[in-house]
Amino acid sequence: MITVPNRLGVKFSLKQKPKLQPADILPIFQRWIQEHAVPGMLIDVIDYKHVVEGPGVILVADEADYAYDLGEGQAGLNYIRKRDLPDNLSAALRLSFHHALHAAKALEAEAPGDLIFDYSLAKISFLDRMNYRNQPEVFDAVRAEIAEIVGEIYGAPVEVSRVNDDPRRLFAVRATVSAGNFDLDDIARRLSDIRELA
Amino acid sequence: MTSWKELLQDEIPAEMGNLIDIYEAQMELRKQGKLDEKVFAESRLRKGVYGQRYDNGQRHDGVQTRELTFPSDDIVKGPDTLWDAPGMQRIKIPYGGLTAEQLEVLSELADEYSGGILHITTRQDIQLHYVHIDDTPDLMRRLAAVGITTQEACGNSVRNITACSLAGVCHDEVFDVSPYADAMTQFLLGHDDVQDFGRKFKVAFSGCAGHACGLVKMHDLGLLAQSREIEGETVRGFTVFVGGGLGTVPHQAKVLAEFVSEEELLPLTQAVARVFARLGEKKNRNRARLKFLVAKLGIDEFRGLVEEELKIVPPDERHTAYMDSLGDFVYEPAKAGMALNGAALPDGFAEWYRTNVYKQAQSGYSTITLHTPLGDFTAEQGFQLADIARRYVGDNIRLTVEQNFVLRWVADADLPAIYRDLDAIGLADSGAGTIVDITSCPGTDTCKLGIASSRGLTAELRTRLVEKINLLPDAVRDLKIKVSGCFNSCGQHHVADIGFFGNSRRSGNHKMPHFQVVLGGQWQQNAGSYGLACGAVPAKSVPDVLEALTERYVAERAEDENFQTWVKELGRKEIKAMLQPFTKLPSFEENPAFFSDWGDSRVYTIDDIGVGECAGEVVSLFSMEISRAESTHFEALLALDEGDFAAADQNAYKAMVLAARALVRTKYLDVGDDYNVIVQEFRSRFYDTELIYDRFAKGKFARYLFKRHAEAPARINEDYAHQIIDETQLFIENVHSAEQRINGVIVG
Ligand code: HEM
Ligand code: SF4
Repeated sequence: MITVPNRLGVKFSLKQKPKLQPADILPIFQRWIQEHAVPGMLIDVIDYKHVVEGPGVILVADEADYAYDLGEGQAGLNYIRKRDLPDNLSAALRLSFHHALHAAKALEAEAPGDLIFDYSLAKISFLDRMNYRNQPEVFDAVRAEIAEIVGEIYGAPVEVSRVNDDPRRLFAVRATVSAGNFDLDDIARRLSDIRELA
Repeated sequence: MTSWKELLQDEIPAEMGNLIDIYEAQMELRKQGKLDEKVFAESRLRKGVYGQRYDNGQRHDGVQTRELTFPSDDIVKGPDTLWDAPGMQRIKIPYGGLTAEQLEVLSELADEYSGGILHITTRQDIQLHYVHIDDTPDLMRRLAAVGITTQEACGNSVRNITACSLAGVCHDEVFDVSPYADAMTQFLLGHDDVQDFGRKFKVAFSGCAGHACGLVKMHDLGLLAQSREIEGETVRGFTVFVGGGLGTVPHQAKVLAEFVSEEELLPLTQAVARVFARLGEKKNRNRARLKFLVAKLGIDEFRGLVEEELKIVPPDERHTAYMDSLGDFVYEPAKAGMALNGAALPDGFAEWYRTNVYKQAQSGYSTITLHTPLGDFTAEQGFQLADIARRYVGDNIRLTVEQNFVLRWVADADLPAIYRDLDAIGLADSGAGTIVDITSCPGTDTCKLGIASSRGLTAELRTRLVEKINLLPDAVRDLKIKVSGCFNSCGQHHVADIGFFGNSRRSGNHKMPHFQVVLGGQWQQNAGSYGLACGAVPAKSVPDVLEALTERYVAERAEDENFQTWVKELGRKEIKAMLQPFTKLPSFEENPAFFSDWGDSRVYTIDDIGVGECAGEVVSLFSMEISRAESTHFEALLALDEGDFAAADQNAYKAMVLAARALVRTKYLDVGDDYNVIVQEFRSRFYDTELIYDRFAKGKFARYLFKRHAEAPARINEDYAHQIIDETQLFIENVHSAEQRINGVIVG
């Protein structure tokens, strides 16, 4: 069985550069805390928008970070699960996808028509260099399983590729599905058994 | 499954590994309730593991104070500090020196444990924020494997030893202090004689007297490079300063010894540490820094004690052994030095060259400064910077006390290329060391003691200043701004031309974030003099205040007059008058924006609770009376400016009594004007009951009043006058916040 990483990230990027500025995300996340708009034990909002291509604005929770992430020049929603990961990779990925999707939809609703996510591509990061060194062997060992798990979530075939091959960087993959091959509502239904942290 | 401990066991020095194992065991004992929380807290701090804001499980979300229900709710990592709450890890980087490999490992850790961000501090450390304590042992092991320790990064211990970031490449230095800073770091780390301090102990080295870089005069122990001709030979040594420090009441260090040779450096340091451990205050941590001991004994008596101690410091071969390896401390540039050769220059290069490039003493080489906004950089930038370093300079990377990087030993011919490479990763901003290069402490973002958002203000000022930097006259461009989130001065606001520190005031029934404006501090001459507070203004007015100040400075300064002189010439009265229009507070209805801090959309208070007339009356009486105390304090400042130290003392004392009276009168209107009665009433009503107590400083500020009331000073000089004025300022602040707590209807 494949080890569950210490932390696991799922990021959806925006389709196009929005009018909304990173600074505008700060009050949204602050309000999310007040309204408990996303699941988790929400703690605080961190403002890192001043650093170039950084994690942007983060809504920190005990279990996870919700980042309006500016990494790689691609603004997006990065859900990083930090604690209480289920003990198998399939459940861990399903959990993280569920929360990433939920948060991305919630963010879209804050600026309808401006914030539009591209759900056909998910960047999955393994924040765990002990178990997931960014090396070809590691990729070879997990590639098929990731494709299968994510394929089941989408209900469609998924292409999995490495994000970069620098051994110092986090091990991360892109999971891509052809647009038109999936339906968000179906995905939500397939993940509807995920109940925790409501 | 393997662990980092197993994986790295051959790479971690045994002693370091052992200490980390002990710490991990202490964590376990604490979790089981078998180790006292206070003891654990100090052990944890000595490993650089700090608490962070909201770790008491309370946070005001702008509407209400919410309890943060962490999973292991009942386990604490210190008094009132919840186990699962995010914390900060401070990582010691002696004299700021980093190798490319170390930078990579730091970046890896940030990726995995702290949201991908690293922070450079004002003492050449690296900090990771939002770290879970459970991750800290592995984090330490991974650092230890590349020779970095977090041992004694916090707590009552010898903190990171700092030094000029130009040491070894500087034109003005007497000699390179880096190997000495390195030797002292190794000598003092974990030394028996530095384990029993009542408070932290900070050491800095500087290569010259005139410039700022080492800031030796604001340190507990400052070492300034000197050389002497002795019997026809040039001998290296140091002028030794002791008892300096910023904090709530800043002290300038005093000269302990004009010259100590290399041989004497470590034993003397050890003797100072032993005297401090033995005689330094232990119970009252607010008076426990070395500066208080030196001030209490006087430098001559302190020197006598150190000299006596020196005689009984046991012989130790390490005292001089390091001298044999001084010669091993060589820099290996990646490239041969070569002049700029007329190649085409990229856009923006000229300005960057002007502000960020320092021509080294070694011809053909330059040192370049990489500005990091708010001291932050990403793990990704860290990896790329490591690549750039390897390509151009090798391991010659250092951190600066102005929260930047420098890369040393850049061949001049490479400057355009390295500029392009740095630009590609967002680290080629020009303006290093200018007004846009603002220093800031963590403030309310993460610090438990923060009162106002120093980082929020800094980001705002920087954004505005960068936009108009090209329009600013040189005199303004070269000013230094430093911001702290409270009076503790971690952002070093005392030594900036223009400093700010956070406090709060009340307008109606709401709190409003404010900053005290501290003007005329000196960065040069190793932090040669400290600025003085000129008045508090709302946080949201600070950009306008800055503009008013700088415009007037430009308009009125005599040719070549620097900011310190101009401030002195203008005088406090005039400055106060200039600030006056900004101190008029809008009501919440008039301008709600003033009731949120910079970079934070949360409102400090909400107006959903009715205010009784009675409270209103009392509050307005208090406001009247406290303003009297404030003006009297201001009189004291004026007297100080005029060199009338006795009058400064009298007024400061009076201001404290008036502030106490203002508070007493909220409970006992007929207290009268007799000082004895006021102080007595104040003591029994607010001090004995602990109502005046500051959450962290406890009764410290009230005791300033009691001390002065009990006895007039034997000697009144400038140092003393500065001190009592600062103490008065703090006491007044204390009364303000106590009054808010006791009498106000504050929401949150
Ligand atoms: C009574 C409590 C404190 C006092 C008196 C104090 C004082 C200071 C002073 C004077 C400095 C600056 C400069 C220097 O000496 O070179 C400093 C550095 C610093 N302080 Fe504090 N501080 C206190 C608590 C805190 C807390 C709670 C935090 C937030 C976690 C904090 C964060 C920092 C940071 C980040 C630095 C920069 C430096 C480093 O690497 O040592 N301080 N502190
Ligand atoms: S100055 Fe105050 S707010 Fe800033 S880090 Fe120090 S204690 Fe915290």
